[in-house]
Amino acid sequence: MKNALKSIVFIGILFVLLISISYLLLPREGVFRYGIIKTAEYEILGEKKDSIDVVFVGDSLIYSGISPMEIWNQFGYTSFDMANAAQLLEVSYKDIQVAIESQHPKFIFLESNVLYRESKNKPWNYDWVHFFETYVPIQKYHDNWKKYVLPWIDDTAKFSRINVYKGFRYITDHQKGTNLSYMDYSKKVKKIPEENKKWLQKIQALCQENHVTLLLISTPNMKNWNYKKHNGTKEVADEYGIEFLDLNIDNPVQIEWSIDSRDGGNHLNYKGAKKLSHYLGEYLKKTGILTDHRSDSHYESWNEAYQVYSNHLK
Amino acid sequence: MEKLLEILEELQPDVDFEKCENLVDGRYLDSLTILSLISEIEDAFDVQIPTVEIIPANFNSAKKIWELIERLQEE
Amino acid sequence: MSYFDILYFLVFVPIVVIVYNIFPKKIRPLILCIASLVFYLFYSKFLIVFLLLSILSIYLSGRWMSSLDKKKEMALEQAKKEEKKEIKEKVQKKKRWILLGTILFNVAFLFFFKYLGFFTRVTNQLLQVAHVDVCFKIIKCAAPIGISFYTLQAISYLVDVYHEKFVAEKKFFKVMLYLSFFPTIVEGPITRFQEVSSTIYEGVRVSYHNFCFGYQRILLGLFKKIVIADRLNIFVKSTFDNFSIYSGMTLACSAIFYTILLYMEFSGTMDVVIGTAEIFGIQLPENFRQPFFSKNISEFWSRWHITLGTWFKDYVFYPVSLSKPVKKITTFIKQKKGIRLSSLVMGAIALFAVWSLNGLWHGAGYHFLFFGYYHFTLILLGNIFEPTIAKICEKLKIDRKKKGYHAFQIVKTSILVFIGELFFRANTLHEGFGMMKKILTDFSWKDFGELFTIGLDIKDYFLLGISLLVILGISILREKKVSIREKIASKPIYLRWSIYYLLILAIIIFGAYGTGYVPVAPIYADF
Repeated sequence: MKNALKSIVFIGILFVLLISISYLLLPREGVFRYGIIKTAEYEILGEKKDSIDVVFVGDSLIYSGISPMEIWNQFGYTSFDMANAAQLLEVSYKDIQVAIESQHPKFIFLESNVLYRESKNKPWNYDWVHFFETYVPIQKYHDNWKKYVLPWIDDTAKFSRINVYKGFRYITDHQKGTNLSYMDYSKKVKKIPEENKKWLQKIQALCQENHVTLLLISTPNMKNWNYKKHNGTKEVADEYGIEFLDLNIDNPVQIEWSIDSRDGGNHLNYKGAKKLSHYLGEYLKKTGILTDHRSDSHYESWNEAYQVYSNHLK
Repeated sequence: MEKLLEILEELQPDVDFEKCENLVDGRYLDSLTILSLISEIEDAFDVQIPTVEIIPANFNSAKKIWELIERLQEE
Repeated sequence: MSYFDILYFLVFVPIVVIVYNIFPKKIRPLILCIASLVFYLFYSKFLIVFLLLSILSIYLSGRWMSSLDKKKEMALEQAKKEEKKEIKEKVQKKKRWILLGTILFNVAFLFFFKYLGFFTRVTNQLLQVAHVDVCFKIIKCAAPIGISFYTLQAISYLVDVYHEKFVAEKKFFKVMLYLSFFPTIVEGPITRFQEVSSTIYEGVRVSYHNFCFGYQRILLGLFKKIVIADRLNIFVKSTFDNFSIYSGMTLACSAIFYTILLYMEFSGTMDVVIGTAEIFGIQLPENFRQPFFSKNISEFWSRWHITLGTWFKDYVFYPVSLSKPVKKITTFIKQKKGIRLSSLVMGAIALFAVWSLNGLWHGAGYHFLFFGYYHFTLILLGNIFEPTIAKICEKLKIDRKKKGYHAFQIVKTSILVFIGELFFRANTLHEGFGMMKKILTDFSWKDFGELFTIGLDIKDYFLLGISLLVILGISILREKKVSIREKIASKPIYLRWSIYYLLILAIIIFGAYGTGYVPVAPIYADF
């Protein structure tokens, strides 16, 4: 009995320590402006206010497939991945709210795969993971110890890894994808659930209100995407007047499934992400709306962060 | 026993074999030295030491080695 | 589910502990057995069939051999003196066939999964050289996890039963638990039946004391792996995968870093493994004894991956050196040239066998074979020149018992180990030589700055330095046989807890995990 009590006290103190250190390591700018909990929940709040041009919202396809730093290095546009595994559309809505509030981006891309995920089918650990990521943010920000150790040496320490990767997750594993006929033409339509249609309308309204261009995007994925889903998304996109970019049709990104996927065609790996990021950069360039910030002194930190990023990737 | 001590001393001069109790575990005898020891013993006492008997417990002290030899001679 | 997965030490182990404690003493080993099978299924899915086949084969032939022994004993009691030898020999012969058959059966799986690819490639290369236009298809398939480890354990069980060291276990699930025990199945330590059977089948209740001590050990393992090994991996991975763009200075550091990484990863895993077993009151043999305090290579191998070394010593080295053909050769030399040379030759032949197998055991590849022969050569040279070195030292009046000389020996041994590990990690033997060449020809202190451009900055090095000092401190205390955990346990509670909190928080804050980090894959699990 005494031992049980001791264990509980031990674990209790541990949690208090963990949570307090967690908050110490959060990006301070965000904490002052948006409060502790919100900063812990949204990585994008560690960025300077109104400094991001483009936000990519969605699930694991986004954080595996789009590397904002690659877009920065080639085009000079600032972007950020706001994505978590198996994201639900209602969460995307909240993400977009935060993105607009803090960054007021010009473009928001929403991964269309999310439109098909229903809240009743969410994975068992979804809420748990979300809970821990929000209330014990230490696992996201632990690298910020560099700000406190040897503080007089200030080379790369001003960036946490999140500042460097901007939501992207660097994974180099590769496993060949073989289902090459996944986009065979079909007339069938896979309907988007009614619940999600409502959320999409809300998202659209939010973007229009704030003059943000919303695009639906289907990133290359041979396991979870097909022509039926394309038709379903297209139908809704046309109905609401949202632009829909399906990168699975005719493979405009020129993904080579034998090398560019980390898990047999579901997620892209770093090689694939480089191609997709380049394609999106080109796409944004064609719109002619964004400006190249690479030589803008306000964005110097992005150049420095890129140095760190490219060092990591060596 | 005298003869055994002589052999041991010749193989590893700087160990006190009459007192040492952890010849193998204390790494005074490494596996190559043990091999030489075995062939010397087999020669001198006319016994065959089977592989099963080569365990630290049998080689940790001169006394133990002597016991092993006596046991093998009886068989 | 690796041993460093949160799922393992925060979910799987606690669940096993709870279930284990609920059941009565007698059933607890069975619970461990089931837990081990569940663990294996997580890892290797249907490949568990091969593990089960191995278990079944050694169970049956073990029983068979022991029943033959029993019959033999009964026959001997009634037999006359002249018949005794004949009976013995007859049984021995039969047992030998059983032993050989079962070993072959088990080694065949090992060969199929680990070496078929390599040997087909070698055959193809040879055929190409001989201008034969045949090319065999290389079959690739994932091996059942831990096959290299449990196969060795299976062999040791069989050989020991064959030698009548113990009577084969009657209960099938006990043999199953011995071979598949979940902490040891992936990376060892390679246990012996006699060594673990005294504690593994006891079913001791998990006590608060054992639970805490076990988890302390696990924490230390996590620290070594997540704080040190995973951080070094950033550097090691990029330099080994792309060595041609780096300077000799960087590559030399890379060899050292890799050796540290390997030690931290492997001994850290062992800490988690031994700690887990400790929770259940099971004593596993240690696999490391401060290897970097070794004075020569032969000593190094008695301190590094100890259970593999003793396995080779008991089941390859002595049997080979005392086998009939080797003895014939050595008696011949003994008569001609004396006993020193003969035992040296005897040792050399046995060592050659050991290191060929040791190299191959680590993996099918020329660089692993090279790694084996490298150490073989070093150990042999060490033995041949030992008397010469002793003489030289005497002449130069160097006291070989002084601390300075020991320090010199330790540094020398470490450098030799670093070189060996460079080839061990190199992607191919060719690349290993390429790196070596660069270190020797393209080395300049001016390239010092390059060290800070490969994923590690000053603060990372600072952190690594402090962490390694902590580990060094622990190692020195261990070398001096100070029982650290007992000492901590005797301290007042605020001090004790502070130490634990420090360790836990250090792992969480300074660990190299999360975005952008690539953790070290379990290295020995692939062997």
